[in-house]
Amino acid sequence: MSDAYANQLAPAAATGQYSRRDLLRRVATIGLAAPTISGILAACGGGGAPPPAAAPPAGAAPTSAAAAPGPKAPLPTGEARNPLKVPEDQPLDSVIFKGGYSDEYAINAEGIYQQAYPKAKVSHQGIQRLQEQLQPRFVGGTPPDVIDNSGAGNLDTAALVAEGQLADLADLMEAPAFDSSGKKFKDTLLPGSQDNAVYDGKQFALLYAYTVNGIWSSTRLLKDRGWEYPKTWDGMLKLCEEIKKAGIAPWTYTGKFPQYLYMVLMPMIYKAGGIEAIKRLDNLEPNAWQQPEVKASAEALYQLADRGYIMPGSEGLTHTESQAEWLQGKAVFIPVGSWLENEMKGQVPDGFNMAVKPVPSLSVSDKVPFEGIQASAGETFIVPSKGKNVQGGKELLRILFSMQGARFFSENTRALTVVQGSANGLDLGTAFASVQAAADAAGSNRFTYLFGTWYAKMRDDIKDQLGAMMTKKITPAEFVNKAQEFADSTAKDNSIKKYKRA
Amino acid sequence: MYHHKYRLIVPFLAPALLLYGLLVLWPYTQSFYVALTDWKGVSANRNFVGLDNFGRLIQDPQFWNALRHNGAMLVVLPVVTLSIALLFATLFTQGGRGVAGASFYRVVFFFPQVMAVAIVGVLWNFVYHPTIGLANGFLKAVGLAGLQRTWLGDAETALAAVAAVIVWQAVGFYMVLFMAGIQSIPISFYEAAVIDGASGRTMFWRITLPLVWGHVQVALIYLGIVALDFFTIVQVMTIGGPNRASDVVARYMYETAFSYAQFGYATAIGVSLLFMTLTLSLLTFALTRRERVEF
Repeated sequence: MSDAYANQLAPAAATGQYSRRDLLRRVATIGLAAPTISGILAACGGGGAPPPAAAPPAGAAPTSAAAAPGPKAPLPTGEARNPLKVPEDQPLDSVIFKGGYSDEYAINAEGIYQQAYPKAKVSHQGIQRLQEQLQPRFVGGTPPDVIDNSGAGNLDTAALVAEGQLADLADLMEAPAFDSSGKKFKDTLLPGSQDNAVYDGKQFALLYAYTVNGIWSSTRLLKDRGWEYPKTWDGMLKLCEEIKKAGIAPWTYTGKFPQYLYMVLMPMIYKAGGIEAIKRLDNLEPNAWQQPEVKASAEALYQLADRGYIMPGSEGLTHTESQAEWLQGKAVFIPVGSWLENEMKGQVPDGFNMAVKPVPSLSVSDKVPFEGIQASAGETFIVPSKGKNVQGGKELLRILFSMQGARFFSENTRALTVVQGSANGLDLGTAFASVQAAADAAGSNRFTYLFGTWYAKMRDDIKDQLGAMMTKKITPAEFVNKAQEFADSTAKDNSIKKYKRA
Repeated sequence: MYHHKYRLIVPFLAPALLLYGLLVLWPYTQSFYVALTDWKGVSANRNFVGLDNFGRLIQDPQFWNALRHNGAMLVVLPVVTLSIALLFATLFTQGGRGVAGASFYRVVFFFPQVMAVAIVGVLWNFVYHPTIGLANGFLKAVGLAGLQRTWLGDAETALAAVAAVIVWQAVGFYMVLFMAGIQSIPISFYEAAVIDGASGRTMFWRITLPLVWGHVQVALIYLGIVALDFFTIVQVMTIGGPNRASDVVARYMYETAFSYAQFGYATAIGVSLLFMTLTLSLLTFALTRRERVEF
């Protein structure tokens, strides 16, 4: 996940679940005025809620590599051995978000680190809701050495950058790659994949999982019914009419977390107006949301709601609930990212053959062809500047982003990484194949938007309006106006640090 | 003899007072200062910004939206919860015995109180589930399919649906509170009333309610605080959605602090909430004061 989607991986995983002790500690540390605390504690009554349900470890997960290193991985030699001058015996303290991808892959990388630096004591913590647990460490000046800052309740990366809490990763980018001999680290990564983590020209984070967002359907269902995935939005509306007549709901979506609707809206805007239209939104330009492409896209999306093509009740579903309904064949299309298969593991009917397709084009005069797709890297790895072993933190990232580290991740989670060629030859099912195919077909027509990473509150406020539009509480014109208001007030607010997309 | 008293009292009180001072009063005091800064909460940096946060608060439509919902809860929760709780308590206790099966109902109605609010919220999420939920299933089964709703996904029903859960959960507790009150009323009062020909209703208004008024007063304050908080249940069930239709101040404060790294502003919201709670408690005490009856 990029931060823009940070809330999507496990938005419902842990909402509002705190133990009594957590609360007390937080309150004591932060000194938040808390007339409500007694209320919350009283409400916690029997001693708090169960721990958030973690996703079960993925697939054929190997045993903890850190605890019991398997066969020795070949370690680099020469200048790739320790280019970052990691102190050999300094402990390494890593905190990894344990969500949709679990944390096996990080444990694997830590195992390799341990082999490379046998004298170092490597500690691993796989947790959720990082903000609550790591904030006191940042404030107290004792952060961990490396963090996967992802998932619901993560730390605001932009805020950490603004406060000087993160290490500049420039030396890592220029260092020799771990196991691609002769290549620099940065040259092993997909071009453009790290743009989301550049703040004012500096690389303050690295993004790992390569995510393709689009419209998912069961290729078998489409084939059985003789339906063909449309290339234009008009074609989509026609097909929806046909599907509706057949007694199935054409669409469902995650109504409780309407940010998933961005996965339809933003690609439409991108295709209609090109990357320039997206940049205007990112840069909070005056009247950016009033661009004709934005208006037309909102209007097109609204047709799904207006014509009754959305499964009744969708507005009350969480991501896993809407995805489950979709897997049961109650709806044909759903907008999600490529973590879908892993997230729904165990619930996918045999022969379902899920596949991702690009959002249909708004019109024939679009600037970007149908194949254009929203692709971005997610799982935000950061190295705190005030950690005790900053170079060690970077070194773990060099290992994680190596060919072997990335291949392990793909095998383990059925998801792509940003490491080029690391998943070549892996046969991991139809979903994985469709993601690879979609990314290949798109070629250079891949985009992402950045306002979600930079301006989290604005992203969420506009997302709420998107949800309101899809439940017909507001019209597309009202949506555009409200979105513009939120963008304008963000632009005016001096307390929010602004970034510029060139 | 007299001065020995303190040797006993001081060691008993000191740890509690120390903890209270350290963990309650000190954070409260600190928060007054934090509310005047632009602290982001991710480093030790914070700059004094005066009353900016409070100025922003007054102009923040999302804060007022949340406060409106707290206001609605402040009216609805006590009225509904206390009415039902008093009704049950009276039915099960008044005059010494109550209706048939009273002891069974007492246990059953108290049961939700035993569960943590977070668990209650998760359970009711299933009840309100749009496609497989009990609520819609029940409506369909009794031929009222037209009343089916996406209870938590519809801006018009979300807050009411959440409030209903809190009422369901809280009634049992207040029922027990009032039953204890009613049981302490001398039975002879009711016997005298019966001889005078008073109906059950008259006995409730003339004897029961005046004599449990102290309990009602306490309940009002408790429920007032619940209404001003309302954090857990909203966070678990709707996260304030859809489109902030069920947002409340405590949740807005939480979101501001933990999702958007604006601890200074969030603390200002917290401070204002503190004063609201204090004012409410004092008002409730002042307005419900009555002469105590000795019996």
